[in-house]
Amino acid sequence: MSGQGAAIAGLGITEVGKVYGRSATDFAADAVRRAAADAGIGVSDIDGLLVSSGLKRDVSITLQRVLGLRDLRLLTEMNAFGASAGAMVAHAAAAVTSGMADTVACVFADAPLKPKVSAGASYTGRSAKPLSGFASYLVASGITNANARYALATRRHMETFGTTSEQLGAIAVSQRAWAAHNPLATLREPLTLEEHQASRWIAEPLHLLDCCLVSNGGAAVIVTMADRARDLAQPPVNILGWGQGHPGQVNERNSDFGLRTGAAISGPTAFKMAGIQVADVDLLELYDCYTFTVLVTLEDYGFCAKGEGGAFVENGRTGPGGDLPVNTGGGQLSSFYLWGMTPLTEAVIQGRGQAGERQVAKRDVIVASGNGGVLDHHSTLVLGGAR
Amino acid sequence: MISGPPVHRDPRSEHFFEAAARDQLAVRRCGECGHLHEPESRTCHSCGSATLGWTMVSGAAKLVSWAVVHHPPHPAFADQVPFPIGLVELAEGPWVHARVVDVPLENLRAGLPLAVAFVHPDDGDSYPVFTTGEQS
Repeated sequence: MSGQGAAIAGLGITEVGKVYGRSATDFAADAVRRAAADAGIGVSDIDGLLVSSGLKRDVSITLQRVLGLRDLRLLTEMNAFGASAGAMVAHAAAAVTSGMADTVACVFADAPLKPKVSAGASYTGRSAKPLSGFASYLVASGITNANARYALATRRHMETFGTTSEQLGAIAVSQRAWAAHNPLATLREPLTLEEHQASRWIAEPLHLLDCCLVSNGGAAVIVTMADRARDLAQPPVNILGWGQGHPGQVNERNSDFGLRTGAAISGPTAFKMAGIQVADVDLLELYDCYTFTVLVTLEDYGFCAKGEGGAFVENGRTGPGGDLPVNTGGGQLSSFYLWGMTPLTEAVIQGRGQAGERQVAKRDVIVASGNGGVLDHHSTLVLGGAR
Repeated sequence: MISGPPVHRDPRSEHFFEAAARDQLAVRRCGECGHLHEPESRTCHSCGSATLGWTMVSGAAKLVSWAVVHHPPHPAFADQVPFPIGLVELAEGPWVHARVVDVPLENLRAGLPLAVAFVHPDDGDSYPVFTTGEQS
C-alpha cells in the first residue's frame, strides 16, 4: 500500500522553548517554511494547508496570506485539542490519496510563555473575563485547570488498580533517559526516581515531574503521496493508518473516567486500517501531558491488560535499551510541549532513521498518539519507517 | 472557614444555586424517562431527550476520586491550601465535582461515605461541598 498511500515528506520544527518576541503565527509560518525546505520543495508548491493552535487559538487560516500561498485547494483550521496533530495528518492523507490536493502542510504553533511568568501561570492563568454559572462553581471549588482534573483521573486509576506514584515516576525517568540523547530536548540532565518523588506537588497525586513542560514554538509536516515523496529530499515516512476516539464520558455511577480513554477506540481503528497488531509495533510516541496519560494509553492500545500499566512500565522497558521504546525524544515531559506535534515530530525523526544516538534500530511500525481535554479526545497515527 | 472566589449564577444554573441557597442539592431529571443527571447535563444519555428538569436529591454520596490542591489557584485560596477536591457519586447515581471539607487528607479513599453541606458566602451564590460530617 505504500505506493498508493500518503507519506510525510517534510518536517519543520522552529526554535522551541522560552523563545520570546514571536507570535504563534510567526512560529507557524516559520515551521511551514522549514518543513518545505526540509522536503526539498518550495513553499509555493503547497496546495493544502491545515492549521491548529494552542489554548489561545491564535493561528488561523489567515496563515495562507502570511505565507503568500496562492490558489490553495484545501485550507482549514482544525481543533480536536491535543488530538489535533493526528487529526490534521489523517485529513491530509485522505486529501492527497483522494486527489483533493497534492501537497498538504499541517502546522501547529503556540506561544503561551511570557517572560517572568511561571509556566503554570502563563498556561492556566485566569481569564480576564469573570466566570459565571457552573464554571464559577468549579473555580470556587478549587477545580481550576487540567492539573486538577488529570489528578482526579490518575487517583481513580490508583484506587481501582493499585497504580503507584513510583510507577508513574518510572515513565518520567525513562523519558528523561531518552531526552539525554536529544539535542532538541529542554531537560536533558539524568533524572532519578527519588528526584521524581521529591519534586513538589502540582495537584496530588501528580508531582511536578509528572507534568509536561510549557513551550513556545511551532512544528509542521508536509504530507504528499508516497510515490512522490520518494523523489523528494527526505526518506519518506509512510502513513499506514489513523483513527480517532472521543468517548463522551458521562458523570454518573459506573463511568470509566480515568480508567479507559478514547485510545481504546482510536487505537484499534488505526491498527486495523494499517493491518497491524500490537505485537508489530516497534516504538511508540505517546502524548504525555502527564505521565499517567502514557500509562493509560498503553493499556487502552492493548500493550498490556487494563490495570496493569503500572507494572508494565515500572522496570524501564520503555526507556533506552528496553523492549518497547516509548517517547524516544523525551516527550512533552522532557523535550518540548507542542501538543500532538511533540510525538509526531519524534515519530518522523525516528521513522527516517535520523535520531542519532537515540535512534531505535527496528522502526518499521511507529505509533504516534494525540490526546485532548481530560482524556476526552484521542487520535492515533500508524507510520511506516523509511527503508 | 471555607473560602474561594465568588460563584455567580447564570440562566442555565440558577435553579441549582437557588436550591443551594436553601441547603438543597438539585440535579437534572429527564422529563421523558426520569433518569437523573449531573447538574450540567443538557441531554439525557439514557433516552436522548433534551427535556431535562430539576429534582432535589438526598445529598448522601460517596467519594469516587480526589486530588489535593497544594498551590492556591486563586488568591482567595491563599489560607486554604492544601485542600482536597473530589469527584463525588451521589446516592442517586450522578457524579458531581466539589470541594471536600473537614476530612483529614489521610482519610481520603475511594468509597468514603460523604454528605452534602453548603457554603453561604457573603459575596456571591451559595454552593455545595461534601463532608464526612464527623468534624464539622
